[in-house]
Amino acid sequence: MTEKAKREGFFTRFVRKWQSNPLYSTGAVLLLMILVQTVALGFDYPDFGTWFANWGKNWINILRNNAPVGVVALGMTFVIISGGIDLAVGSTLVAVGAIMMVLINGNANGVLTAVGVTGTPAYIIGISAALAAGCLIGSVNGLLIARSKIPAFIATLGMMKICRSVTQHFMQTAGVKVPKEFRAITNTTIGGEIILPILYWLVIAVLLYILARKTPFGRHVYAIGSNERAARLSGINVERVKALVYVLSGALVSVAAVINIARIGSMDYANAGSGYEMDAIAAVVVGGTSMSGGKGSVVGTVLGMLIIAVMNNLLNLVGVPTFLREAFKGFIVVAAVLLQKKERAS
Amino acid sequence: MNLSMRGIVKSFGANKVLRQVDFSLEAGEICALLGENGAGKSTLMNILGGVLQPDAGVIEIDGMPVSFHSPAQSLNRGIAFIHQELNLINDLPVYENMFIGREIKKHGFIDHKEELRQTRALFDRMEIAIDPTAPVSSLDLSYRQIVEISRALMMKASVIIMDEPTTSLTDPEIERVFDMLRMLKKRQVGVVFISHKLREVMEICDRYVVLRDGAAVSGGLVKDASIAGIARDMVGHDVSMEALRQSGQMDREVLRLEDLTQEPHYRHMSLTVHGGEVLGVTGLLGDGRSELFRTVFGDGGKYQGKIYLEGKPVQITSTRQALALGIGYLPRNRKENAIIKDMNILDNGTMVTLEKFARFGLISRKKQLESFDRQRGNLRIKMGSPFDPIGSLSGGNQQKVVLAKWLCTDPKLLILDNPTQGVDVGAKEEIYEIILQLARRGVAVVVLSNEAQEIIRVCNRALVLYHGDLQAEVSGDAMNESNIMRLATGGITEEEKAQ
Repeated sequence: MTEKAKREGFFTRFVRKWQSNPLYSTGAVLLLMILVQTVALGFDYPDFGTWFANWGKNWINILRNNAPVGVVALGMTFVIISGGIDLAVGSTLVAVGAIMMVLINGNANGVLTAVGVTGTPAYIIGISAALAAGCLIGSVNGLLIARSKIPAFIATLGMMKICRSVTQHFMQTAGVKVPKEFRAITNTTIGGEIILPILYWLVIAVLLYILARKTPFGRHVYAIGSNERAARLSGINVERVKALVYVLSGALVSVAAVINIARIGSMDYANAGSGYEMDAIAAVVVGGTSMSGGKGSVVGTVLGMLIIAVMNNLLNLVGVPTFLREAFKGFIVVAAVLLQKKERAS
Repeated sequence: MNLSMRGIVKSFGANKVLRQVDFSLEAGEICALLGENGAGKSTLMNILGGVLQPDAGVIEIDGMPVSFHSPAQSLNRGIAFIHQELNLINDLPVYENMFIGREIKKHGFIDHKEELRQTRALFDRMEIAIDPTAPVSSLDLSYRQIVEISRALMMKASVIIMDEPTTSLTDPEIERVFDMLRMLKKRQVGVVFISHKLREVMEICDRYVVLRDGAAVSGGLVKDASIAGIARDMVGHDVSMEALRQSGQMDREVLRLEDLTQEPHYRHMSLTVHGGEVLGVTGLLGDGRSELFRTVFGDGGKYQGKIYLEGKPVQITSTRQALALGIGYLPRNRKENAIIKDMNILDNGTMVTLEKFARFGLISRKKQLESFDRQRGNLRIKMGSPFDPIGSLSGGNQQKVVLAKWLCTDPKLLILDNPTQGVDVGAKEEIYEIILQLARRGVAVVVLSNEAQEIIRVCNRALVLYHGDLQAEVSGDAMNESNIMRLATGGITEEEKAQ
């Protein structure tokens, strides 16, 4: 270690190291927003304990509400790093959600109930079917993009239209009821709070972090996004990796669908998941992932999602009119990318 | 216009790139700016072109001090910088390219007629035989260079900086660009010619300046200098020009092609490569050699004919399969085909073998580093941390990293397409040494190159291609520059035909 490095304190060294991290600006923005949010929440409480409990509850709320789209954004991260985009996530969510609901339907007309399968076995079958359907829709996207060389934007735009329209058509008279026991998947309380959705999100984030950083597949996704030609000439099966990225996205959408349905107990086929694609892309981009591929991180996406979530919460707290809130979202996305651009240039 | 740069100093952080460099250029002079990668040539010219600002020193035009803060300012004073990657829009016709960004307008709309007229006038004056209405994509690289030079002239440039203009050109194309340069000379335009190819410098330049480690170490009139002398100045010690090739055993067949055809690229290719030999394949642009070996590496699409690997017939349909069969491939045009710029040196140098380092699906950083470090020592890669971005390395070291990636796989057959493209003299020698070392270890090496010199120096024998046909095989004394050039341009004797 040089003399200079020795002389500077732990704190300075920590700051310097942090500043060279690509997530520096994202992290800084998040910290700032949390600070503002804390202030906005107010300190009008009898003692620290009640204040903290309230603060914590607010946070659990924020995280829980954003867990489904947070999971979708994790899949979107891989898609965007590979140089693609997945616009179909929102309507894939209703499609796989509908399939699962039909299977686990508690009414007499439920598919599994009719053959006498109920309870946990039915839920396992339902969830597996949802995962399979998500993977299938993802693989159709993937094959169209990787093999047929259709631009990702177009292929997934088509899938987006198809999934929602077909689901709405078939579900208009379905009359589905989600059994109470199924809802325990998310609504079981731990320490008196519903935090399971948050835990699912966290565990998946950790797994995907490892997938991105530590596995050949993850590194290949980065390589393809950065220079597809070089990746192919390095013996990477580009088509396979590209297709798998959409399968992964589809699978994570299924997880989000399960969380959503268990939480709410029903599904609005016209509106559920709509806007997920844009919220997920926003989280990914705010988290520092480059839209042109090759650069980005799972941690960044989690931070990006939190920024958007905290902002929504903040807008709520300070009483910004509902219709104006989207404008703030738009603003923060553009501002975040501007900030990152500046950093890269300097 | 006479140009002089005096006492130019430039540092990037603690790294002193230029230390008190003097450089001058007179009207109608072609001056070669030489040096290894990292010697400071690009930095010096980027300062002249307004891309970078010097820390100290003055630039004078006709005795008047000037300073440039942007490429536009530099261009306004008549200095045009033509980069290696040409700056043309391929889908637009030539004449529109001439006026990109400075369109001639009439009533707010582009005046195509006037643009076309001015382009024609300039082409007539410069004796350029290009149809101004042709799209740029229909021109070969040399004509594109000429279009780019003409555009500079259209902007009234009186100094043109050319960064390695001949790297991807064939010999007749190079001649065409040189004719243009001679024309510029006649018109009193000064040219700075950045190149690694000393033979071209001897042919076209009047004067030369050699940079080494950020200082001008020698310079003078080209007619008083020798290639060996300049090369010595560039690297700081003597450079051998004699053949390095060794006699290979020709008993163990690794690759055999039988009647391979892929229209319109190549046809009826039959050849054999043995373990322990270096086979050269050369020709002019459009000879089909790159396409032929892309096929062998599984990246060429459909083909007719048979490929045998170690005597067994194989059908190679993907790069992944080629890799599994023990074939390694270093592509040409490193930047587009080999470098993953968003990833670090380590990942770039081990991209091919990541699966091999995985335990329970997770890449073992330790194994990855061990494997890379072995190659790094072997190839003498000069670098900081393996976690630095690949872009922090010089061209030669980047090429070695790409090579390392393939050496990690222990290939039986290694195909090297233009292995020393954009690599400085010192690194070039080291790469030759590595090629020979591999052959000694029993690897079958195929070197594709457009430099006859290179083929002669490292290969045991060479195949010369002409427009997709195999012309002849040369070896021993017959493997000399004039023979290769004759075959590559289509000349063939009865005797050679019989082979």
